[in-house]
Amino acid sequence: MQENSAPFADFGEEVVRAENLRKTFTLSRKQQRLDKTGETHKIAVAGLSFSAYRGEIYGLLGPNGAGKTTTLRILSTLIKPDGGDAFVCGHSVRREAQAVRDSIGFMTSELKLEGFFTPSYLFDFFGALHGVEKTVLAKRKHELFERFGIDRFAEVKIKDLSTGMLQKVSLVIAIVHDPAVVIFDEPTNGLDVLTAKVVTDFLLELKRMGKSILLSTHIFSLVEKLCDRVGIIIDGRMVRDGTLEGVCDGMTLEDRFFEIYREVKGETV
Amino acid sequence: MKLLALMKKEFTRFFRDPRLILSMLLPGILIYIIYSVMGSAMAPSAETYAFKVYVSGESAAVETIGEAVSLNEGWTVEFAAPEDVDAARAEVESGDATALLVFSEGFDENLGKGAKAELVYNSEDGESSAFATLAGTVLDAYARSFTLTMTDFAETQNIAAQTMASLLPFLIVVFVFSSCMSVTLESVAGEKERGTLATILVTSARRWDIALGKVLPLACVSLIGAASSFLGVALGMPQLMGVSIDIAVSGIGFMGYLMVFLLIISFVPLIVATIAIVSTLSRSVKEASGYTSVVMILVMVLSIVTAFVGGIGGWVVAVPVLNAVYAMQGILMGNMVIWQCVVAFALNIVYAAILVFLIGKMLSSERIMFGK
Repeated sequence: MQENSAPFADFGEEVVRAENLRKTFTLSRKQQRLDKTGETHKIAVAGLSFSAYRGEIYGLLGPNGAGKTTTLRILSTLIKPDGGDAFVCGHSVRREAQAVRDSIGFMTSELKLEGFFTPSYLFDFFGALHGVEKTVLAKRKHELFERFGIDRFAEVKIKDLSTGMLQKVSLVIAIVHDPAVVIFDEPTNGLDVLTAKVVTDFLLELKRMGKSILLSTHIFSLVEKLCDRVGIIIDGRMVRDGTLEGVCDGMTLEDRFFEIYREVKGETV
Repeated sequence: MKLLALMKKEFTRFFRDPRLILSMLLPGILIYIIYSVMGSAMAPSAETYAFKVYVSGESAAVETIGEAVSLNEGWTVEFAAPEDVDAARAEVESGDATALLVFSEGFDENLGKGAKAELVYNSEDGESSAFATLAGTVLDAYARSFTLTMTDFAETQNIAAQTMASLLPFLIVVFVFSSCMSVTLESVAGEKERGTLATILVTSARRWDIALGKVLPLACVSLIGAASSFLGVALGMPQLMGVSIDIAVSGIGFMGYLMVFLLIISFVPLIVATIAIVSTLSRSVKEASGYTSVVMILVMVLSIVTAFVGGIGGWVVAVPVLNAVYAMQGILMGNMVIWQCVVAFALNIVYAAILVFLIGKMLSSERIMFGK
């Protein structure tokens, strides 16, 4: 594995650091049947380490089941690691979960907004849950809603919004508390091309705003379009980590990925 | 501030949805209407009747019928001998006369020896039908060779109080549970199923606050539903029993009512927290609904046992919810035991606090919240 623990001169300070993260899940009988395995445990993350720096978009690339989502869930404190630790803005996900949650905005398709409420109400609600002061919240709502064209839909119920607008609202609410780090699990999964563009444009806009973005994906073009650095995960392990150019080594990302996959797994796809 | 925001959201969700408000208030209104209708259907008629009855032949039974009629308020009877029996029959048929009584000759002397009596009436006519029922009963008793005298020492007030004391606590628990179920399942299991609860878990709100931010407002909302059902039962029950509200509730007093109210307040959060725990453990509203129904049946059975089976020891004050049923029963019977009420109130609040703590723990559990 190509380890890359040294700070990058081109990037700012380290905002995310994963140190030897480990996570094992117990498989139910149903899961064992689905996975066609007799194993009672599955190692989702096996000693994963990497760092992400201020102002960059870092992509975790890997096939389904590689451990990308588990890693992001650990970083967002939704689940706890069995071993190792991770630090977000210097806060341990094990010991300072609340401080970590204040430093991150987490987006995944599994997290939903209640359809009964309006974007305006939910922005205020999640702002209050993050402890944002009312005047700051009002100013931020005005800025973000205007910037992303939500202002005209501010009082429309979530259930009545188009998919693209709903995605924008979810993104804006995820950064209601102006977090230093935005974590995004499979940002364009299941989205149509128009909504996917909304998301990618939003991420680039966040980068311009100085945010650090950590995303997981299995889509090569997305990494090539957005990411400054990339980490390739296979079977819960970080097998390559570095700048996009460094990892690709003169090849396309797709060709390079399958070459690495062959090296690691000893098999072709 | 975070707890307030969480609570405000639950209240907003409820009070901005007219369907939810209606679903809370409707049971109480329906209960009152149903009980009132059932009461008026079962209550003896309050109609005033002036019976015009032809009597052919002689019997002392006529005098007895007259006395029986006079016992009913607003009922009078006028007996007359018909000039022509067939003409009298025709009058009864046309509704000009209430009834015709025909006694065979020497009726009283020949009782049991072939004496015959005929009662002619028209059951389509309410007045004629009422007289026939009364006269038939009197004649049936008159023709018997013995007289049964029944003496009932029960007073209306005691019967009313006993019925209320036995039924009300059980009904209150059932209605409270129903209203808690309708709001809590949707709010906890529904949010978990839809993924909106996980969105809240990613914020820096403490799990404790999230649990309390659910249970407290849901308990307040459930209390509205419970109060509606309680009022429906309390106001409808006297109607069902055919007594005035004053009689049904006399002997309970202000203190009694206050205690009943406090006891309800004590077990509403407890039931909400219990359903919230079941909802947190479940993967969907459907699953939570199934498990909660089992809990509800268990609580109902135990409540009815507590309400109707005598000789239960003082230990019942330690049992959540049932302690309130037991204490409320005492209050409604006019035998309020203060220490039972206070202990039941305090213990239910403590149990609810423990459950809220457990919910907070569950919200932190990845197996419970995100387990497949």
